[in-house]
Amino acid sequence: MRNKKIGRIFVLSLALSLLAAVGGFPPVREEMGHVLAKDDVTTLRVCNWEEYIDLGDWDEEELIELDNGVEILGVNALYEEFEDWYYETYGKRVQVEYSCFGTNEDLYNQLTLGDTYDLVCPSDYMIMKLMAQGALEPYSEEFFDGDNEENYYRRCVSPYIAQVFAENQINGESWERYAAGYMWGVTGVLYNPELMTREEASTWAVFDNPDFYRQITLKDNVRDTYFSTLGYLLQDRLMDSAFVNDPDYSRKLGEMMNDVSPETIQAVEELLAGIMGNIYALETDSGKADMVTGKIIANYQWSGDAVFAMDQAEEDGVYLEFAVPRECTNLWFDGWVMLRDGIGGDPDKKQAAEAFVNFLSRPENAVRNMYYIGYTSAISGGEDDTVFSYLNWCYGAEEEGEEQDQAVAYPVGYFFSGNSEDEDYVVYTRPEQVGRQLYSQYPSQEIISRAAVMRYFDEEETHNINQMWINIRCLDVREIPLWCVLLILCILAALAASVILHKKNHYYG
Amino acid sequence: MGVFRFSRKQLCIPYAVFLLCFVAAPLLVIIYYAFTNGEGNFTLDNLTGFFTSPYTIGTLAYSFAIAAVTTCVCLLLAYPIAYILARSQWKRKSVIVVMFVLPMWINFTLRITALKEILTVIEGNLAFHPFLNTVVGMTYDFLPFMILPMYTTLLKLDKSLLEAAADLGAGPFQVFGKVTLPLSVPGIISGVVMVFLPSMTNYVVLDMLYNSTYIMGSLIGSFFSAYDWHNGSMIALILLLIILVFTLVTDRYTEEDAGSRGGALL
Repeated sequence: MRNKKIGRIFVLSLALSLLAAVGGFPPVREEMGHVLAKDDVTTLRVCNWEEYIDLGDWDEEELIELDNGVEILGVNALYEEFEDWYYETYGKRVQVEYSCFGTNEDLYNQLTLGDTYDLVCPSDYMIMKLMAQGALEPYSEEFFDGDNEENYYRRCVSPYIAQVFAENQINGESWERYAAGYMWGVTGVLYNPELMTREEASTWAVFDNPDFYRQITLKDNVRDTYFSTLGYLLQDRLMDSAFVNDPDYSRKLGEMMNDVSPETIQAVEELLAGIMGNIYALETDSGKADMVTGKIIANYQWSGDAVFAMDQAEEDGVYLEFAVPRECTNLWFDGWVMLRDGIGGDPDKKQAAEAFVNFLSRPENAVRNMYYIGYTSAISGGEDDTVFSYLNWCYGAEEEGEEQDQAVAYPVGYFFSGNSEDEDYVVYTRPEQVGRQLYSQYPSQEIISRAAVMRYFDEEETHNINQMWINIRCLDVREIPLWCVLLILCILAALAASVILHKKNHYYG
Repeated sequence: MGVFRFSRKQLCIPYAVFLLCFVAAPLLVIIYYAFTNGEGNFTLDNLTGFFTSPYTIGTLAYSFAIAAVTTCVCLLLAYPIAYILARSQWKRKSVIVVMFVLPMWINFTLRITALKEILTVIEGNLAFHPFLNTVVGMTYDFLPFMILPMYTTLLKLDKSLLEAAADLGAGPFQVFGKVTLPLSVPGIISGVVMVFLPSMTNYVVLDMLYNSTYIMGSLIGSFFSAYDWHNGSMIALILLLIILVFTLVTDRYTEEDAGSRGGALL
């Protein structure tokens, strides 16, 4: 769904930059400033992941007509539409300065180097890190007032996400005061079902499976790789039925998967060194394309990217599937947080930032984002059934004929109403969807029950885990064979000798 | 009325400002970080850490190996081409030179992406030959930098010297070994410098060709992304020193060549 857009974005940005070049663009902005005194316009500096918001400009035929009568079409970028919406709703002007970051670490480095933003969208562990450092501004009481019509986040956020945000705490304070969920998902293995069985793909041990020697990629990212290797290391304990049925299973799982004691890191390093000899490579972004071109037959993937990759591969006639390992999975979130330095106690700014989150949490905007970027929004819609209708629109089976007979029930109640038995929230879908996009976008209750959030690590732990990563990635000088060293020394000696001899001949010969 | 007059010194001001902002100032920051620890105190730990860790030394060795092999391959490929081109009487030879330079006009990540597909067709599975792929990628990337300086040096070579050598009885191989090759050393050295040093740090090629082993460039990046500015800066500094030493040595060599050897030949 996104690749068509990229072309259009490119053309659009080209046109825009041309426009700006001939001077047509800046005056438009200035005009706005002239109409109102400068003080009346609040500037909101937003920093988000790249390609992580609907930029609009959809084709007419892309109009999404949902069963509940709602029609959705992305015309302009959401952050631009927000400016108008804010004026209509609050009668005040806001100007959004929108920028992007590449990784959580990049964002953090930008912040420490003095870039200021008001509202940013980092991942779970970075939110925790920023929270622990006291860098975040809490959301106001009004933001959580469910009676207010405009508080879309409070009214529409999924009960499941709300619960996770309430339960996770840093220094005795729960996330929900500081962070509003945006997108979420799990991690797993994207694989080609023609070359690998679902059984084989559904375990973290797949990366060490000699049957797929040099055919699978892992992520070039220490946290993801650590998690998957740890899941493999602890395989037996994680799968033990006494452990799974423990009433305190969830908490214990979280603790196990966040174990960064030196002994565990050591064990992971040893295991990972072996895995590195079995996998194809580490990749950051090429995995999706490499699946389609057939270079690899499976890769470690975030659920949102998996949806995108499956969609894209389908267009090329390749059918991929997504499996979540049976040991456990990493539950991750990206959420909007306000920065204390950016907001600087300015109530207008804070109001605008909260309104921005609320605007993105409107069900139709959540659907636009999902359609555009392929990830799963934290918004379920509350009373509004737009998001669920969108799910049916995407994945529901035809309501007549063969498809209807074959349709399977896929309950997603845990996400929409907090009750997985809820019959109102069951998608009747084509059977193959159970291992594909629907399954990736809304993992089943059973998967969610074995999901663990990965917390942030303190300075020493970060240092240790990073050292482990360097040890894995670097050539150990002790592993260079002796003959190699001797050979190099011989060559160097021969070179030096020839130069010296040459000079001697030259001057005295 | 205002006629602006610039002295030569004043004309240097823009460049001096540029140098100050983008070379000198960042260098000072690197030096500061390299010799301090997290608390901002002076320390030599980063320096000793580099030379005592088998992994950083191993990375240095690996970078050297990639750079050395790449340079040798480039040299072996480029010298005959530069030689043939410079010696040929064909009027349109500038067209061929342009053809070698042409790839440089296309962004190199695009070229490497294409190379990746070509290599996959040839090798089947890229994961089996990470070192070879890296060398091929680097060679592909840096070959023009090797050809051009050698071509210019060979082009400027005084033909009468070759004729004189031939007249005095040297065979074609002797002419090449005793006259052409020594006189083209400055070209070879500037080519080597232009290939060897960048290929020690050009980690994008490794990333794109699925070589997961770190070289110096990626090692610095990994420290920076773990917020460890101190160790990262120290490695950058060491790399700068290596480059400095390398340049000093080769500079001396080229000067000697241009002066004494050329003179001695005459």
